[in-house]
Amino acid sequence: MNHTEKINRILTNIDQVMIGKRDIAELCVTALLAGGHVLLEDVPGVGKTMMVKALAKSVGADFKRIQFTPDLLPSDVLGVSIYNPKAMEFEFRPGPIMGNIILADEINRTSPKTQSSLLEGMEEASITIDGVTMQIPQPFFVMATQNPIEYEGTYPLPEAQLDRFLFKLKMGYPTKTEEMEVLERAEKTVPIEQLKSVVSLEELIELQRAVTEVKVDDTIKSYIVDCVAQTRDNLYVYLGVSPRGSLALMKASQAFAMLKGRTYVVPDDVQYLAPFVFQHRMILTPEARYEGISTTEIVDRILMKVRVPVDKATLR
Amino acid sequence: MTGTQMDRRLLAILYLLSFVLLREWLLPVMALTDTDYLGLFLLFIAIVFVLALGRVKWWISVPVKFLYIMWAIQYIYLDEKFVSISRIGYLVEDLLSNVPMLMSGDWENITNPFRTLLFFSLLWMTTYLIRHWIEVRKSILLFYSMTVIFVATIDTFSPLSTDSSIFLIMVTGLLLLGLLFISKLAEKHNTPIPTAAFLTVSIPLLFFVILSGIFANVMPKQDPVWPDPVPYVKSFVQGTDGPGNGAGMMTSGYGTDDSQLGGSFEQDDTLVFEAKVAGKQYWKIETKNTYTTKGWEQLYPDQSETSYSSGMELVHDAQSDPEVLQHAGLQMDIDFPFIVYPYGLQKVNADANVEFLHSEATGKYRTEIDGRDDSLSAYEMEFVEPDYSLKALRETNMQDLQTLDSSFSQYLQLPDALPERVRELAVSITESQESVYDKAKAIERYFGRSGFVYAQQEIPIPDADEDYVDQFLFETKRGYCDNFSTSMVVMLRAIDIPARWVKGFAPGEYRMNDEGERVYQITNNEAHSWVEAYLPGIGWMPFEPTIGFTNLTDIDYDIELEANDPQAAERDEQNKPEEEQSKEPVEKAKSFDVKKYGSLFTSWLKKYIGWIVATILVIAFMVWSFYRSRVKWMPKFLLRTYRSEADDWDAFVKRYQSLLKQLDRAGLKRSAGMTLNDYAANVDAQFGGNQMSALTAAYEKGLYGANTTEHDWGYLKEMWEDLINRTSG
Repeated sequence: MNHTEKINRILTNIDQVMIGKRDIAELCVTALLAGGHVLLEDVPGVGKTMMVKALAKSVGADFKRIQFTPDLLPSDVLGVSIYNPKAMEFEFRPGPIMGNIILADEINRTSPKTQSSLLEGMEEASITIDGVTMQIPQPFFVMATQNPIEYEGTYPLPEAQLDRFLFKLKMGYPTKTEEMEVLERAEKTVPIEQLKSVVSLEELIELQRAVTEVKVDDTIKSYIVDCVAQTRDNLYVYLGVSPRGSLALMKASQAFAMLKGRTYVVPDDVQYLAPFVFQHRMILTPEARYEGISTTEIVDRILMKVRVPVDKATLR
Repeated sequence: MTGTQMDRRLLAILYLLSFVLLREWLLPVMALTDTDYLGLFLLFIAIVFVLALGRVKWWISVPVKFLYIMWAIQYIYLDEKFVSISRIGYLVEDLLSNVPMLMSGDWENITNPFRTLLFFSLLWMTTYLIRHWIEVRKSILLFYSMTVIFVATIDTFSPLSTDSSIFLIMVTGLLLLGLLFISKLAEKHNTPIPTAAFLTVSIPLLFFVILSGIFANVMPKQDPVWPDPVPYVKSFVQGTDGPGNGAGMMTSGYGTDDSQLGGSFEQDDTLVFEAKVAGKQYWKIETKNTYTTKGWEQLYPDQSETSYSSGMELVHDAQSDPEVLQHAGLQMDIDFPFIVYPYGLQKVNADANVEFLHSEATGKYRTEIDGRDDSLSAYEMEFVEPDYSLKALRETNMQDLQTLDSSFSQYLQLPDALPERVRELAVSITESQESVYDKAKAIERYFGRSGFVYAQQEIPIPDADEDYVDQFLFETKRGYCDNFSTSMVVMLRAIDIPARWVKGFAPGEYRMNDEGERVYQITNNEAHSWVEAYLPGIGWMPFEPTIGFTNLTDIDYDIELEANDPQAAERDEQNKPEEEQSKEPVEKAKSFDVKKYGSLFTSWLKKYIGWIVATILVIAFMVWSFYRSRVKWMPKFLLRTYRSEADDWDAFVKRYQSLLKQLDRAGLKRSAGMTLNDYAANVDAQFGGNQMSALTAAYEKGLYGANTTEHDWGYLKEMWEDLINRTSG
């Protein structure tokens, strides 16, 4: 069974419980394969939890959920050492971060201190408590959600932290027919409990390794760099995409190419993923905001402008 | 609103504005070329625009325009409001008769109807071009600036004043530019503009353009900073202290006082007479014998006159062949107490009881009725066009001139004050010629080859101490018939060939009358002077030295012409330099080579310039249309080029990239940011099937995936051929 088939089985599995969210599922799987994390910005009740649960179930992974509140402490995320009077020693009780797939709900509602404890773990794939460094088990995938409508008492993630997320996605509301189907299915038993794992964690790790072998031609690399350079050289952009962004786009493109059954990246992959990779990595100038120009619009313009490499000539 | 379809109301306004601009082109052209019927030409332009506005199919509009042109031509020249088949027949015959003239480059003899036809064609093309500029290019700046430059040039360098036009042109042109720009913007953003919005945008435009135009028009204007270039150019050409000065203006026409020649004159197209005659004739009145350094007089008058009555056979030179008797009917509009007559006159018929008094000395036929000078309003003449044998002309020799009697001395008269350089010039022009005829011909030809210019304006009148001929030959080299003819007579006399100065009228232009006969119209503009030289054994023979006029004398080329014969040279300009060369001393031959080939080339160029330009234009047009239609023939070329190439990655890349280019030519554009996959989807949507997607997938596999071997080349080639064939469909 080759890689693409395995990925398709995951997607088909998710499709059983998620209706009309194939694109988001694909992007989540892409992020998972690329070893990145996803920031979902959307209103409650559109199926964020369902999505990540289904993904966790499909790969047989350990699923944890952290509901962020203003009074949450870093130890509530990372875990804490508790004195065990029986054993006469401190015993580490791992926090919810020590799982494979984690849903960090409403991450902007907690204090920056707690936020950074999670984000550090995401970046390093390890945590340090009481001088002891512990590896977070692999695969490790965080899906954080942000509620865009509440600002009172929230702590928006700083730009440097946003950079840790591979994609920033929006679920969006389902269409009418999709929503009707949701209602129809709800009449029967809740299907999420019946989901079986279709690939093992080992297979997932193997897939993650295989992604790094997907061919990225020099023309594609040059195209990625051109696109990123355009974000730094744009009138409306105050802060452009970092080199980490370029790397993220390349990795994501590799994973996406494999998802699409190719052993090489094509410009279409880059174009498709660029908005999700770029939009939370750019800060717009006030002028752009006054003129009502969004990041998506700027990314679209950049993609329209940058010449797609259609032969080797671009490298010369 | 797409690239080809504009709102019709807007289009109507744009056409109206272009019409105004075009009219500003026509006005000066009409005035300068002395063309009438401006209305007919404007109507034609209007028709073209209206047809375009109505989106009339070409197979209706082209015949409509063509019919209008034919009708307009016959209206102008036959003066009939309605078309009749027989008249159209004449017209077509007349037009067809121009084809050989076109072929031989005989531009001067092209008939007026044909010129009108050509002018109409030019207008047609111009309107087509304007429509292209407006509807497709949506840019009229080129035409606008050309109009401004044209009108400015006309205003500066011609007597016409275009002050009022400039205002109109500026306002019209700016409006055109503005309106076109709006629709261009709309097209660029792919948004149709509702009429209301268009008005909202155009009203400020109208406001600004018209207001600023009026403001500029009524404001006091500063005088030009630069001096008027015309006087400067003239002083540059003529030298600041130019000889003489063209004091008073005269108008063209026949006059009796020729004692003071020179000076500019104005055109005067008053009709003098109409002549119903088969071919072009020079209309002679009289000759004069005495050159006074300023002009001509008839001195030592030989008062003897021979009297003839109507219908009597005149005494004439027996040069002609009576087989070819011709008739000429003259209808006089201006009364002359004498007749104008063609060469070879044999008989004059008039209704009145008239007496023709022929002066042997001047050749003038005075008309007297009842012993008093009177004029005839109409008369008919019989004549035989003189026909000269070149052989006989060649046998005329200078020795025979010695034997002429004393009555010829008046035709050898020259003023004592005649500068010596005139004589020297006459000798140098003619010394290489043997016969009297060739010498005369050499002088006649001299003017056309030595940088002389035909002009009616700014011609000086010689001062008291200046000689009219000398001034023309050596200083101004600019003049009209009097300058040329007088100079030739003086030079002929300077080498002892008897010559006299002839006055009369040039042939004029003809129109067709109701019977389809040619009626030549002779106006005051045709008043002319030429030369008669006496050739021993032949008699008086006319010569035409004036540039731009054609010597109509019939000459039988009844001897073998040699290469170094000036007559042959006349028939074949290319031989001319050889003839000159053969007279040069041998040691000079080498240094003259460059000059020789230079002049050979120049004269060849001059002769065929029309053809060369036409050929280049035709070839350029063919190349251009071939290039424009490359989307049609390119696939066959591409198939032939790439089909036989090997089945490997490199060949596939070539094929695929040629396909991309061909698709681009076929109108399927790929923007810079469009991936090949998206493009392929577009292409397949256009042509159906999925060939492009399949080809693209293979191409991407090789390009981005570096997999250049695992392909089904045969399958890919088949799809490539299929697709590239479809692009030409």
